Amino acid sequence: MFKRKKLQSKSEVLLRNIVVTAIVIFNVCFVILPIGIAFVGSFHQWNPLKGTYNFLGFENYKNVFTNKLFWRSMGNTVIFTSFAVTFRVVLGLAIASALYSSLIKHKVFYRTIFYMPTVTPLIAVAFVWKIMYNPQIGLINKLTGLNINWLFDGRYALASVLLMTIWKDFGYAVVLFLAGLYSLPKDCFEAAKIDGASSWQVFRFITLPLLKQNTLFVVVTSIITYMQSYVQIMVMTEGGPGTKTYLSTYLIYNEAFEKYNFGYASAISFTMFVIIAFFSALSFRITNVKEA
Amino acid sequence: MKVKVSKFILNMALLLLGILTLIPFIWMFFSSFKSNAEIKSLYQTFLPKEFTLENYITMNDNFNFVRFFGNSLFLSITVTFIISCTSTIAGFVLSKYQFKGRNLIFSFIMGTMMIPWAVTIIPKYSIIRSIGWMDSYAAIIVPVLFSGFGIFMLRQYCMGIPDELLEAARIDGANEFYIVGNIVFPLCRNAISSIAIFQFLWMWEDYLWPFIVINSEEKQVLAVGLKMFSGRFSTNYGGLFAATAVSIIPVIAVYLIFQNRFVDGITASAVKG
Repeated sequence: MFKRKKLQSKSEVLLRNIVVTAIVIFNVCFVILPIGIAFVGSFHQWNPLKGTYNFLGFENYKNVFTNKLFWRSMGNTVIFTSFAVTFRVVLGLAIASALYSSLIKHKVFYRTIFYMPTVTPLIAVAFVWKIMYNPQIGLINKLTGLNINWLFDGRYALASVLLMTIWKDFGYAVVLFLAGLYSLPKDCFEAAKIDGASSWQVFRFITLPLLKQNTLFVVVTSIITYMQSYVQIMVMTEGGPGTKTYLSTYLIYNEAFEKYNFGYASAISFTMFVIIAFFSALSFRITNVKEA
Repeated sequence: MKVKVSKFILNMALLLLGILTLIPFIWMFFSSFKSNAEIKSLYQTFLPKEFTLENYITMNDNFNFVRFFGNSLFLSITVTFIISCTSTIAGFVLSKYQFKGRNLIFSFIMGTMMIPWAVTIIPKYSIIRSIGWMDSYAAIIVPVLFSGFGIFMLRQYCMGIPDELLEAARIDGANEFYIVGNIVFPLCRNAISSIAIFQFLWMWEDYLWPFIVINSEEKQVLAVGLKMFSGRFSTNYGGLFAATAVSIIPVIAVYLIFQNRFVDGITASAVKG
């Protein structure tokens, strides 16, 4: 097939110019400029309500690294993210494989149900779950017969938020893995069956390596999403009990839009940015090395 | 025999999981028809003992929920429409045109998806303040005219459009605007629907941005309304159930209507990506 080397007609040039100009202007205004402002601002004492904007040097960053709550929230974020990503991938893979197998009927029906929580507004389902966890009127204690104050007990609070998050999001992984499975060549599986491979062997040595791309996609997008979760915390626990469920982004939200410490909040968010970039790069590395 | 047993177990497990997935929705839905006294009583039934519409009727007394709903609907539809258009056009140009700097622009757009919202939200807020857009819908619509995710998905999808088809149209004398409108848009229907559902949901559930840029209550959106409601009437569970039902059910309805196209769209881009 021939490849088009350059643009030919006037309308092609015109369309390209419009699109490129619009993208560039948009990104300068709402990406590059804001990052610049945030970076400079992170070296200032910056409060838009009081109108203060004084240079502080590295003071904000020093405060970030010496702040116990920051480390606490970072620790919580790492725990929260690793569990949420792991469960999402494992559940997603397991359920997708089950739905792919010939043993299951009504595949579309199940897929529709499992995907449903993913398309519902997080803030609304967080409220529903908050009431479900309520020790007096909530459904969870009623169904299990337990008497636990899920969201106000330091031992269970983060796990409870995590459970809600897993419920909300596992369907996304199911759909992506299922699509991945359907795109795989069927003859691989048949050849393996003829050679006498067990179902587990087929899964471990054929399916899993072939789904590498999908897994990477799910892992990276999930890390980016979960490192930035704050809505469930804001609705369900507000970081409590104590500081047990503070996540980094909730801390930023709190510093920026409850206390209006913009400079300090920017310093935290830049630190977060570096950490997220690090973990995304790491997950690219791990997924590539494992299969190489 | 062995196959039959594992088939049974697998089906039961999936059925159980399906029920667990649906329970919160069903519970919320039925509870929204219970009176507050019934919700708080010691002995509860899954179905309301006394079916009442009170929660839905009184919901609007303290807050203008109908207004919030309308505002959210307007903003979500507007932004979804704009992003569907900009993503398709940009995705087409970035996948089918060869020009200098194309890959740079695309990598940049991919990069923007990795930037945490926390980094840019504060300066965006100050920019909006300094240009005097506070408390206006321009503050909500303009910063999301382009979506990195949307451009990414549509670019993946557009790469699958055969060059011969576009060439044939060009030879027949079609200009690029005609091609975009009459060939690219119809071909990308599935990818556009999946982007549209996601974008609609993201606008619908977005809390923080409307919360900080919109001050007047009559312009506020549903997500912020929910939070305000629970803040002021924290024990009015019936009202809260009704309010969450109102914000969840429309999205589920849209999803159920468009789900086939939607699933095809997300999977196409993810598998190729």
